[in-house]
Amino acid sequence: MNTTFTEEQTMLRKSTADFLVGKYPEAKVREIEESDTGHDPEIWRGMAELGWMGLVIPEEYGGMGMTFQDLSIVLEEMGRNIAPGPFFCTVLEGAYPILDAGSNEQKKEFLPKIANGESIFTMALLEADGISDASGIAVKAAPKDDSFIINGTKLFVEQAINADYMIVITRTSKAASPGDGITLFIVDAKSPGIHCEVIPTIGMEKLCEVSFKDVAVPKKNMLGELDKGWPVVSKVMERAAIAKASESLGAMDGIVPMTTAYLNDRVQYDEPLGRFQALQHIMADMFISLTTSKYLVYEAVWMESEGLPCATEVAMAKSYVNQNYKELSRLMIRLYGGNGTHREFKPGLYFRRAKAASIAFGDTSFQREKVARAIGLVS
Amino acid sequence: MDFKLSEEEKKRRKEFFDGCKELSKERPEDFIQGLEADFEKANQPYVTRCRKEFAKRGWLRLGWPAEYGGVGSHMDRVFFGEARGYYGLPGVDIFGIEMLAPTLVAMGSKEVKDRFLPPIGRGEVLWCELYSEPNAGSDLAAVTATAIRKDDEYVINGQKTWTTNAHNADWGLGLFRTDPQGRKRRNISFLLMDMKTPGITIKPLEYLNRMHMYNEVFFDDVHVPADQIVGKENDGWTVSQVLVNFERSNVLAVSAVRRMLEVLVEYCNETKVGGKPLAQDPIIRNKLAEVATEIEASRTLAYYIADQQNRNQVAALFESSAMKVFIGDLYERLGAIGTDILGSYGQVKASRWARQGGLWESLYQTAFVLTISMGTNEIQKNIIAWYGLGMPRPLSPVSIEKALAAAQAAK
Repeated sequence: MNTTFTEEQTMLRKSTADFLVGKYPEAKVREIEESDTGHDPEIWRGMAELGWMGLVIPEEYGGMGMTFQDLSIVLEEMGRNIAPGPFFCTVLEGAYPILDAGSNEQKKEFLPKIANGESIFTMALLEADGISDASGIAVKAAPKDDSFIINGTKLFVEQAINADYMIVITRTSKAASPGDGITLFIVDAKSPGIHCEVIPTIGMEKLCEVSFKDVAVPKKNMLGELDKGWPVVSKVMERAAIAKASESLGAMDGIVPMTTAYLNDRVQYDEPLGRFQALQHIMADMFISLTTSKYLVYEAVWMESEGLPCATEVAMAKSYVNQNYKELSRLMIRLYGGNGTHREFKPGLYFRRAKAASIAFGDTSFQREKVARAIGLVS
Repeated sequence: MDFKLSEEEKKRRKEFFDGCKELSKERPEDFIQGLEADFEKANQPYVTRCRKEFAKRGWLRLGWPAEYGGVGSHMDRVFFGEARGYYGLPGVDIFGIEMLAPTLVAMGSKEVKDRFLPPIGRGEVLWCELYSEPNAGSDLAAVTATAIRKDDEYVINGQKTWTTNAHNADWGLGLFRTDPQGRKRRNISFLLMDMKTPGITIKPLEYLNRMHMYNEVFFDDVHVPADQIVGKENDGWTVSQVLVNFERSNVLAVSAVRRMLEVLVEYCNETKVGGKPLAQDPIIRNKLAEVATEIEASRTLAYYIADQQNRNQVAALFESSAMKVFIGDLYERLGAIGTDILGSYGQVKASRWARQGGLWESLYQTAFVLTISMGTNEIQKNIIAWYGLGMPRPLSPVSIEKALAAAQAAK
């Protein structure tokens, strides 16, 4: 056991932070958020030059061959800076499923394009019921000659408007169990018959409705085996859940010192607000919430990174951070007082993102049900 | 960053768990479980049995210097705590083993160490801590019980309270004012004394549920040899603060709460209400999953604290304070959750009517031991805010009065 990050990881954290602070100042974050696309191609190119999209892609496919744990450090810093854009979906919902289930040809075709920033990826999973469960998958893919024809509507597809490719989760056959009969396809996002529309959401992350009308995708773009795609999706979801928890942890780690500094700086009744014990104990509670989250996340990240079975640890970390990020950002608003509710102040950015992050890849009820089963409660 | 135990560590951890499991089989039927287990008079034969067994295995000397028979590493202390917490075993005198021994190692003279450490390691002597007084609780430096030097003795007068286990203890360690005129944190000395010394009177202090854990201790001209001081005269506050820098991962409490949750899960699986197991109630599922998550969060934090101490010899102080607050709150909350789930049986004490041996009724009342003793949760939050986060200390009412008076005078 060694609960300290390596020197290389500490350097990675610092260089990531330097880039983000330089390229994503708060004004830029707001500008991207308010823009129609929610994506800044110039920053994207800068990230590609640093190799971020290829961080976990093996060197033979143009990546850097680093670990999931290294990636989680980048994600923490992105969370701290509330950096918007298609990084998360490209890496977690694009690169990883191809690494997990792609053929050699698919890896050779797509991974280098991800690593060098040429292609933006996302995954089209959720549908009308909004539940990350196989039973909700109704979008159909039916074979026709050398293709499959996709029909139906996906919801909450992150950054679909900017995507070059989408990994679409489809139902290819009706089976006894909802997990059977699911197939993944790598779909060119510019294919005829695809229509994207941004759903207005609290986090403004450009979650989209994507409708498929007779969209043809070549058979060679099937990712993994026919009808046997659900385990691939589950793995992607698990990894994305802990990755989202890392991103949220970074935000929480930003909230605590930022709020402390605000309280120590702002003077009322001739004293810094930070001198008032009522506020000090709220800050202490926030510190405790952050501290107890940290090692739960780090343990799950480490297990994920090492390929150890960690479904329960991930469910615990995600559910815990879901609640704590929301709570910390709520308290941040309260401690900033009126300023906390001002659109132009920082707390609202975190508060809105926290809600979105807590929903993504398994909300608290969803994750806690996994934990309930793992601790042996009969169902 | 990794949480991986080496093969050697896994082997050691298993030894502790196996040893504790064996010992737990000897536990008498009528043994009183819970936070009071070590202190109840009726429990003492089994408490002693456990202590002797631990001593035989060297488990009371984990991480001690080799010259005093020390064995194992700091991580072994963690594993032992986990194993003991899980099986709910008594037999480790926290005042002797967890508090006095590390203090003596750090601050004791050779004579004091040679005299007092070996019996602690052999599990022969039980200690109590004479700290709190009726008017010195959180504000420990306000102690008023005096120890006045007279030739080669100190003569002690005054009162201590909330003294855990004084009724079983052979010896006591305590803070006494060696100069009544002195300033708060100075002029306090750290003294050791035989609890059978004439002039010491011990009275039980009844807890909420009548458990006998705490006592009041009265001193009436108690003569203590002057060589039973640790550190210098009037420098006892410094000695007492050594422990502040000593790791407090609370791993035992984490492990104990994990076992309690397992027991509660069993209950929910086996108990049907309206024909359905309680375990199928979605609210219960959600609650217990939340508790399980918090237990894992505290376990990972405990390991972090222990690893930092082990690796860098630096105490993760604010993390330790966070840990203390968190695990105490968790105990209180689990007591409430457990008694709620038991419904009518949530109020029943250990008896033939009780479910789960009255565990939850007991926890509901005794959880305050964790949130209040050893620095209340509120004091821990002050430590986090002032020293961890660097927030300015609040003005005391006295200094506000003075400032107002000064402003008035200036006018």
